[in-house]
Amino acid sequence: MCGILAVLGCSDDSQAKRVRVLELSRRLKHRGPDWSGIYQHGDFYLAHQRLAIIDPASGDQPLYNEDRKIVVTVNGEIYNHEQLRKRLKNHKFLTGSDCEVIAHLYEEYGENFVDMLDGMFSFVLLDTRDNSFIAARDAIGITSLYIGWGLDGSVWISSELKGLNDDCEHFETFPPGQLYSSKSGGFKQWYNPLWFSEVVPSTPYDPLALRLAFENAVIKRLMTDVPFGVLLSGGLDSSLVASITARHLASAKVAKQWGTQLHSFCVGLEGSPDLKSAREVADYLGTVHHEFHFTVQDGIDAIEDVIYHIETYDVTTIRASTPMFLMARKIKSLGVKMVMSGEGSDEVFGGYLYFHKAPNKEELHRETCHKIKALHQYDCLRANKSTSAWGLEARVPFLDKDFINVAMAIDPEWKMIKPEEGRIEKWVLRRAFDDEERPYLPKHILYRQKEQFSDGVGYSWIDGLKAHAAQHVTDKMMQNAQHIYPHNTPSTKEAYYYRMIFERFFPQNSARMTVPGGPSVACSTAKAIEWDAAWANNLDPSGRAALGVHLSAYSHQAATTTAMKLPSKVIDDMRRMMEISTPELAISS
Amino acid sequence: MCGILAVFGCIDSSQAKRSRIIELSRRLRHRGPDWSGLHCHGDCYLAHQRLAIVDPTSGDQPLYNEDKTVVVTVNGEIYNHKQLRAQLKNHTFRTGSDCEVIAHLYEEYGENFVHMLDGMFSFVLLDTRDKSFIAARDAIGITPLYMGWGLDGIADYPAGSIWFASEMKALSDDCERFMTFLPGHIYSSKEGAIRRWYNPPWYSEQIPSTPYDPLLLRRAFEKACSGLSLYSLNSAVLKRLMTDVPFGVLLSGGLDSSLVAAVASRYLAESEAACQWGSQLHTFCIGLKGSPDLKAAREVADYLGTRHHEFHFTVQEGIDALEEVIYHIETYDVTTIRASTPMFLMSRKIKSLGVKMVISGEGSDEIFGGYLYFHKAPNKEEFHQETCRKIKALHLYDCLRANKSTSAWGVEARVPFLDKEFIDLAMSIDPEWKMIRPDLRRIEKWVLRNAFDDEEKPYLPKVIHLLLLNMFNHGLMLYIILLFLSQKEQFSDGVGYSWIDGLRDHANQHVTDAMLMNASYVYPENTPTTKEAYYYRTIFEKFFPKNAARSTVPGGPSVACSTAKAVEWDAAWSKNLDPSGRAALGVHAAAYEEAADPKPAKPMNGLRLITDNEDLAIKLCCGEPCRLTS
Repeated sequence: MCGILAVLGCSDDSQAKRVRVLELSRRLKHRGPDWSGIYQHGDFYLAHQRLAIIDPASGDQPLYNEDRKIVVTVNGEIYNHEQLRKRLKNHKFLTGSDCEVIAHLYEEYGENFVDMLDGMFSFVLLDTRDNSFIAARDAIGITSLYIGWGLDGSVWISSELKGLNDDCEHFETFPPGQLYSSKSGGFKQWYNPLWFSEVVPSTPYDPLALRLAFENAVIKRLMTDVPFGVLLSGGLDSSLVASITARHLASAKVAKQWGTQLHSFCVGLEGSPDLKSAREVADYLGTVHHEFHFTVQDGIDAIEDVIYHIETYDVTTIRASTPMFLMARKIKSLGVKMVMSGEGSDEVFGGYLYFHKAPNKEELHRETCHKIKALHQYDCLRANKSTSAWGLEARVPFLDKDFINVAMAIDPEWKMIKPEEGRIEKWVLRRAFDDEERPYLPKHILYRQKEQFSDGVGYSWIDGLKAHAAQHVTDKMMQNAQHIYPHNTPSTKEAYYYRMIFERFFPQNSARMTVPGGPSVACSTAKAIEWDAAWANNLDPSGRAALGVHLSAYSHQAATTTAMKLPSKVIDDMRRMMEISTPELAISS
Repeated sequence: MCGILAVFGCIDSSQAKRSRIIELSRRLRHRGPDWSGLHCHGDCYLAHQRLAIVDPTSGDQPLYNEDKTVVVTVNGEIYNHKQLRAQLKNHTFRTGSDCEVIAHLYEEYGENFVHMLDGMFSFVLLDTRDKSFIAARDAIGITPLYMGWGLDGIADYPAGSIWFASEMKALSDDCERFMTFLPGHIYSSKEGAIRRWYNPPWYSEQIPSTPYDPLLLRRAFEKACSGLSLYSLNSAVLKRLMTDVPFGVLLSGGLDSSLVAAVASRYLAESEAACQWGSQLHTFCIGLKGSPDLKAAREVADYLGTRHHEFHFTVQEGIDALEEVIYHIETYDVTTIRASTPMFLMSRKIKSLGVKMVISGEGSDEIFGGYLYFHKAPNKEEFHQETCRKIKALHLYDCLRANKSTSAWGVEARVPFLDKEFIDLAMSIDPEWKMIRPDLRRIEKWVLRNAFDDEEKPYLPKVIHLLLLNMFNHGLMLYIILLFLSQKEQFSDGVGYSWIDGLRDHANQHVTDAMLMNASYVYPENTPTTKEAYYYRTIFEKFFPKNAARSTVPGGPSVACSTAKAVEWDAAWSKNLDPSGRAALGVHAAAYEEAADPKPAKPMNGLRLITDNEDLAIKLCCGEPCRLTS
């Protein structure tokens, strides 16, 4: 990842302003520790902090077209840049950077080229011939981007909130899949795939087509000139990514430089479930596996830093980001600059617990669409910012444009969870990689149901967080929460604790508006709450309400688990409870 | 390098305080990007940001003795840790970290063990059994350390809480009073005072009389030492090859860095590091495009067969980095800032290549009297005392620059010329030998050059070597070649002449005459006398507004980097105490008028020009008529 900051038309071209832009750009230095660049054209500033993954020697940014009239600052990776270069035969390229193609595409096609880019990206492009500019963000919002407006008439674009929050009167999340054009002065949706309309598709499920699409998604992400690895929690998604990467690494260009042995990484409290599962997968795949242990205290000590970096007060995101943030630091210290990660699969295939209650395939499909559209506020934000905090880039093959198109064209009937037919959640994905002859993963791993990230790192992690928050947030504080925080009022002490930290770093009203809120049950969108009458009656966003439902629904089985003895944990253990509900899987604990 | 922060006796031990310490420790994270740790014992906090060089997998800090009653947070490298471990046979070590030995030494010897450490270090050690603590800094101050006092005194700490930090930025906001922790000193809470633990013979500034032995000097720098049992048997350079991560050498193409590179590449194959990272040495150089350093370094790198990396920067990039540089190096000293900026930019590039440690040539000019003004040393006594003073002040200048410019990006700089044993040896040489004697064909640093003049296995390109040694015998042609190939540039000039011009122009644009006129009112302490100095000062004051902060930066009269004392060497200097050295320029310009002629376009650079062209100056000193045709 890189960090970009653009200040456009601020009516101030003084040294003081330049220094200010440089200073703000430095707030994004963690994203691009390798080099920085600034381009100034009158009162237009484009700043860049670079993480060099492709062409470390010459790809310093900002980038230009041939006559240097078009300047672009980019955060991201364009996986099809070589194909695009070939189409631009009459263009001369100045660097080997994958991002340079953007300047040339603009020259060739004007503002309508963004859909030609395959990858993750956020960029700002300045056309100095008429001082017009455009800014765009990738389809799903894998890379982070914010837009703001200054009182001086300036438009600000920044990879992270902290690059513009102090200098803008108003700012918001830059919507993914959209393009901002200074000529039209507004946004335009450039990403318009079939699934976006949420019409229920009817293509029959073809396991091999799905497999092929995903393999391609992984392969194109092996484009790198630096050492890389895979985040491996031992769950289905990350294990598949690791398996495919290991399989194709030998034939990838990068293997020539960095060897054919794959590095895999896992984090957890000592003895945590993830560590065990990941180790098992790593052994099976023969990766060079790195295990990192952290303590609850390490995590708590990092919370402020985590919230500063990921810029949210969403409870589940913070819980899951912290171990990832700690791990990213360790990974970086090993000299690894890029990792592949399994985000997005749960959204595309309906892998969350509450999908068990989806009343019909239409509802299920719409919910997956909503979830994908919201990814940029949750898992994409977490994966991108937790790793970028340490100059590490996360690539997410499940969010490949082509793959999403294939996966979201499948008749959702196939994605419905039907325990009676042996179809557990994400069955279409599991089935697609169930290869008897050349198994990607051992069967028990392929069909294993696993903890959600925050649980997998160790059960006491969330308990520890709650206990810590309970110590520092009093009941009285909670009582007044709605007066202090009328917007997205925290309903638990943990949420209140995070909120206090967030407000200290980002006190502006605009900042708190960038964080999603509203009713939710165990990560569902507000709409899915209607799936269960009991949920709708109790809109506690922490999901505690759903707990009652589940406890009663599965009480005869749940009683046998340790979860019952530790009621505070149960909330976070819905995954585990589902194991109970699926007959084909035994509980090992 | 790592970053350490320790606080003792703060009034509260709340979560808020813990958060605050963590936040302050984060300000040092650039020094140790790899991991962080915090040990809290009542109202005592020891925080650490780690750059993992030795034992990356298990050496996270703070470190402990066996029963965890002694806690230590260390920034540094202990090169003789294996020998020390061997001496501590009855101790069980928990990690492979070189720094763990400190906790065990304390257990064994109490507070009097610091002299046993061979390396560069700053550490704070807490003995939880009686809540006593000590803090110490290496002999020369290669690693930075600051000490401060807070307002929140409690019964045990009537003077307020006591703070230690690797950089000022971690304690300047929370301390009422703070200062540079003196190098070679130790603070003991039991004594409640700072005392010096470093007591080598040269420290007294008495004139030594050991005759010059070139081979001995060479060996001390390069190969097995005569065998002082406590220390490693390795030489200054070789022992600094102790690393578990990729490393390289900063190569400007001057004598000092070239010698370091030559020795490192010669002995790399035998070192442990080579097994892990290959036996080809990486060298790094930075400059404006086409600068003298780049050319000279390339020449040396080609000769040594290193994997050479050249980095170019533009004047604008340097100017854009100034604020960050000053924030990081924490000084407003003009020459330090000029020289730090390219080093700072280069460090970022080096780090981005995955290199965590570099070996650098600082200290040689101080030990051997390599600065221009040493030409004027009236006698060997004065010469020697000036070198002593220079070494003692290193921590405020070149050590500070080398350490903080690299640490800003998590790169560690090691400086073999400042090896304790090497200094002892080099400073015991009868200073008569160091005197610059054009009549005897001894140019500055002759004792060092001569020590490495090996006819059979030359360390450096023969042509350069010959020229350096025999320049007085040769005529015009060779002289021109010399200028192109081996002219010794000081860092800031070597990166390209327009760098300093660019800085001056930039400052002139942003500091008005009126501002400079009122400088003595605005900045009564260490008043800036040039627009450039004024410009840096405003930036410094923005980051470090407290009185205590500006007092950590040295000032006073100086001519071309001399100490105040050496100003007396020339009557013309002492009459005009312009610290910028412009006064000296006149003297020199007059003395060498003919010589300055070839580059009349750069009168502002004149001092540097002459300073840096010592060879040229010498040449003229001895009165040989030679004129550059270019």
